[in-house]
Amino acid sequence: MSRQANRGTESKKMSSELFTLTYGALVTQLCKDYENDEDVNKQLDKMGYNIGVRLIEDFLARSNVGRCHDFRETADVIAKVAFKMYLGITPSITNWSPAGDEFSLILENNPLVDFVELPDNHSSLIYSNLLCGVLRGALEMVQMAVEARFVQDTLKGDGVTEIRMRFIRRIEDNLPAGEE
Amino acid sequence: MSRPAHRRPEYHKINKDLFVLTYGALVAQLCKDYEKDEDVNKYLDKMGYGIGTRLVEDFLARSCVRRCHSYSEIIDIIAQVAFKMYLGITPSVTCNNSSRTEFSLILDKNPLVEFVEELPAGRSSLCYCNLLCGIIRGALEMVHLAADVTFLQDTLKGDRVTEIGITFLKKLDEKKYRRKK
Repeated sequence: MSRQANRGTESKKMSSELFTLTYGALVTQLCKDYENDEDVNKQLDKMGYNIGVRLIEDFLARSNVGRCHDFRETADVIAKVAFKMYLGITPSITNWSPAGDEFSLILENNPLVDFVELPDNHSSLIYSNLLCGVLRGALEMVQMAVEARFVQDTLKGDGVTEIRMRFIRRIEDNLPAGEE
Repeated sequence: MSRPAHRRPEYHKINKDLFVLTYGALVAQLCKDYEKDEDVNKYLDKMGYGIGTRLVEDFLARSCVRRCHSYSEIIDIIAQVAFKMYLGITPSVTCNNSSRTEFSLILDKNPLVEFVEELPAGRSSLCYCNLLCGIIRGALEMVHLAADVTFLQDTLKGDRVTEIGITFLKKLDEKKYRRKK
C-alpha cells in the first residue's frame, strides 16, 4: 500500500495531541483484539518495527545526519534529532555500560501518555511499546541489530520513563524490507 | 483508559510522518478485524468521534477562538485554525447551499495518505481517512452543534482532491444536552 512520501508545500509540522489520541485508539483496539497484554505488547512492537523501516528513510533525508561512527553518536542522534523531530521531546542519555554497548533513554515527559491511565486489568501492558519497535526497525535499516525495551514506565508508577537500548551486532547482509 | 488532562501538557510540534504511519497501522488493524469496508468506515468514524470529543477541549484552550455567530465562521475556524494546528494543512472552504448549512472542505493534499499508493485489493469502498469525519462530528457535538460529516471526494478513489462535506443539522438544545458514547 505504500510509496515514497510526497514532499508537498504544506507544513510538515503538527501538534502532537491528535497523534496522542490516535495512538490511544490503536492501543485500545489491540486490547480488544488480543486477550493478554503480552500479545498486545508483541503486536505493538511488530507494528513499530514496520513503521521504523519506513520512517528511517524519511528521517535520514530530512535530518541530514551523516554516518555515525559509534554507538554513542547513534544515541545522540536518536535522542536529540529523532525524538525531537517525531515526538517533540529530547530524552537524556544515561547509564552507559562499561563496554559502551548499552545505554538508557530517560523520558521525563512522554507525550504518548498525556491522557492515559492504565486500567487495573492491564498491568503488564507496555503502552508505548510501538516506540521500541520503531527504534529496532529503523536501526536495522542502517545495519544495526539492537534490542530496545522499557525498564521504567510512568504509567506503572515510576518517576520517569526509561528505554534501555542494547547494541547486539552490526548487520552485514541485506535484509527483507519488513516483517509481516 | 483515558482521563481528562489535569495538568496542561507541554505543547509539542512534531513532524507528521510518525503519526501518518501510525494511522496506517490503525487502519490496517481494523481491516484485519472487519471484513466489510462499511464496518471499518463505521469504526473509524466512531473512534474519531471519541477523539474529537476530547480534542476540542485542547483546541478551545489553545486557540482562544471567540464564540461564532454563523456556521460559515465555524467552518473557517475548522479549516484555518484546527486543520492547521493538528494536521499542518489549510483546506479551502466552499458553501454548497443558499441557506448556508452545507459546506465542503477541499484538501489539495491530504497528509494522512502520504504513504498510501492505493487502496488494497477488495477494499474499494474503504474511507481511509474516515477518522477525520468522526473527529469533526465529535468536536462539533461538544460545542452543541449536530452535523453530518462525510467524504464526498477521495484521491484514493481516483478523485482529484479530497472533499469533506459538513452539513449542519438542528442546533442541539444546550440544557437537554447529554454526552453520547
